[in-house]
Amino acid sequence: MTHDDLRIATPVQRGRLLTILVDGREVPAYEGETVAAALLAAGYRTFRLTPRGQTPRSYFCGMGVCHDCLMMVDGLPNVRTCMTPVRDGLRVDTQHGLGEWDGRS
Amino acid sequence: MRSVECVVIGGGPAGLAAAQAAARAGVQVMLVDENAQLGGQYYRQLPVTFQVPNSARLPKEYAEGRTLIQEVQALGVDLRLDTVAWAVFDAEIVALASGDATERLQAETLILAPGAYDRPVPFPGWTLPGVMTAGGAQNLMKAYRVLPGRRVLVAGSGPLLLVVAHSLLQGGAEVAAVCEASPMRDLWRYAPWMLPHLNFAQQGYDYWRQIREAGVPFLRGRIIRHVLGRTEVTRAVISRCDEAWRPLSGTEQGFDVDAVVIGYGFVPSLELSRLAGCEHRYLPEVDSWVPTRTPDLETTLPGVFVVGDGAGVAGSAVARAEGGLAGLVVAQRLGKIAERDYGILRARARGRLRHLAGFRRVMDSLYRVGPGLYSLADDVTPLCRCEEITVGEALAAIREGATHPSEVKAWTRTGMGRCQGRMCGPTLAHLIARTAGRPVAEVGLFTQRPPTKPVPLSALIHDVTAV
Repeated sequence: MTHDDLRIATPVQRGRLLTILVDGREVPAYEGETVAAALLAAGYRTFRLTPRGQTPRSYFCGMGVCHDCLMMVDGLPNVRTCMTPVRDGLRVDTQHGLGEWDGRS
Repeated sequence: MRSVECVVIGGGPAGLAAAQAAARAGVQVMLVDENAQLGGQYYRQLPVTFQVPNSARLPKEYAEGRTLIQEVQALGVDLRLDTVAWAVFDAEIVALASGDATERLQAETLILAPGAYDRPVPFPGWTLPGVMTAGGAQNLMKAYRVLPGRRVLVAGSGPLLLVVAHSLLQGGAEVAAVCEASPMRDLWRYAPWMLPHLNFAQQGYDYWRQIREAGVPFLRGRIIRHVLGRTEVTRAVISRCDEAWRPLSGTEQGFDVDAVVIGYGFVPSLELSRLAGCEHRYLPEVDSWVPTRTPDLETTLPGVFVVGDGAGVAGSAVARAEGGLAGLVVAQRLGKIAERDYGILRARARGRLRHLAGFRRVMDSLYRVGPGLYSLADDVTPLCRCEEITVGEALAAIREGATHPSEVKAWTRTGMGRCQGRMCGPTLAHLIARTAGRPVAEVGLFTQRPPTKPVPLSALIHDVTAV
């Protein structure tokens, strides 16, 4: 566990340890976690920058309502990370504005 | 098109209880939920990949929820998880989307149990990373066992603040303070109504005592003012507020924190009941719109029921009781239950709801939202988080003559984003009411349109509805 790890120690045995790629960097995650939970646990706060003001946004409602925790997941923009489970090798990228589709904005 | 005797939408306490009651009587039930697991927010379960060596150390709602979920599974209910109910057409056609496919079904009866979400409250800094809702913080801790931060300020109103603070402390976080907007004066006034509900009172008292024993200040009559930080929360400022929750200047107090949890109560999710065409009315005592219902919880559309927090926020006990009643009424409508049994069970369910009504009244009165809550934002505070429209931009439209939320939407894009106006709608109605000097009940709501949640075009194209 890293210094930044915000995971609560007990009394739960988490799922299998996996690795997700966040902006190209390896971040540990446990099977069963959502992308948002894994990122927050690892100390990541800015999930996207807004289209109009380029302001940082993150996890807010945590139940799929507010659409603020959107990121690029496996190359697809506007994915709610609070509702998306992690998978080994999952590619997650900070979303800039409206994001990109297959490399095109 | 396939026909289902009863479609229940929402797998929290209300929807589970409805599915259970109907299925037990022999009704063919389909239960739909957007999440990967049943439970909703209150009964939210751990991911299936997580193991619990000692469940006695987890909050009691884990076990309570798991028992109810297992009962519903054992009854052979058709479970549709990871599935969004994105529209109701003609009061009986339910549109579902899951992955890359959509399907329409004919519901002979429809029980909506959509739940509620945290009342969105704009204040300077409310979009900064590290600021999250009480519901969001609870999910993070309950389901994923992850803390929102190391040193956290909790501000809002209602019993959930105590629960959140307790979870934070249990998880090893430091709680800078718990700020309750209600003055909570003269609590003895509520004694006659609380006497039959001493279990709830005891629960609240226990949380409060544990928080005090941990040395966390519980500050009454305090409200969030602003949150500071460049790319994430570094500081939160609160102040005293009057009985109407209007902040009192000169009483500010700052806390260096890395997370802020905000919980000024909840508002019902009305998207599906409004799309279906049910009549709604504004209830000032809970500052929200609710569907009009008969004592059997049927809406103004025959065969369409709304139960639980989605019909007016009242918590899990009321939600379960309402779900049970609606499931029973549906069973009777479909001729699945003997009249005598129905009479006995219905009287019991309605009695349970009458019993809980007293507790509900105390909560509504004690934590009644003060209008000052909608005056925390300044002109540059985002009102619409999706489209990044500020309070000032919305107010300018209102001053130029916009009188309805949909007009402000057309003029400014407020409410046009992916959340479908859920985050800005309640505040916008108050801004219009205040500026125009009209009651908020007269202002109305955004026009509701499908889809209630974004659905990929690939799913809309791939319609698997049986012909």
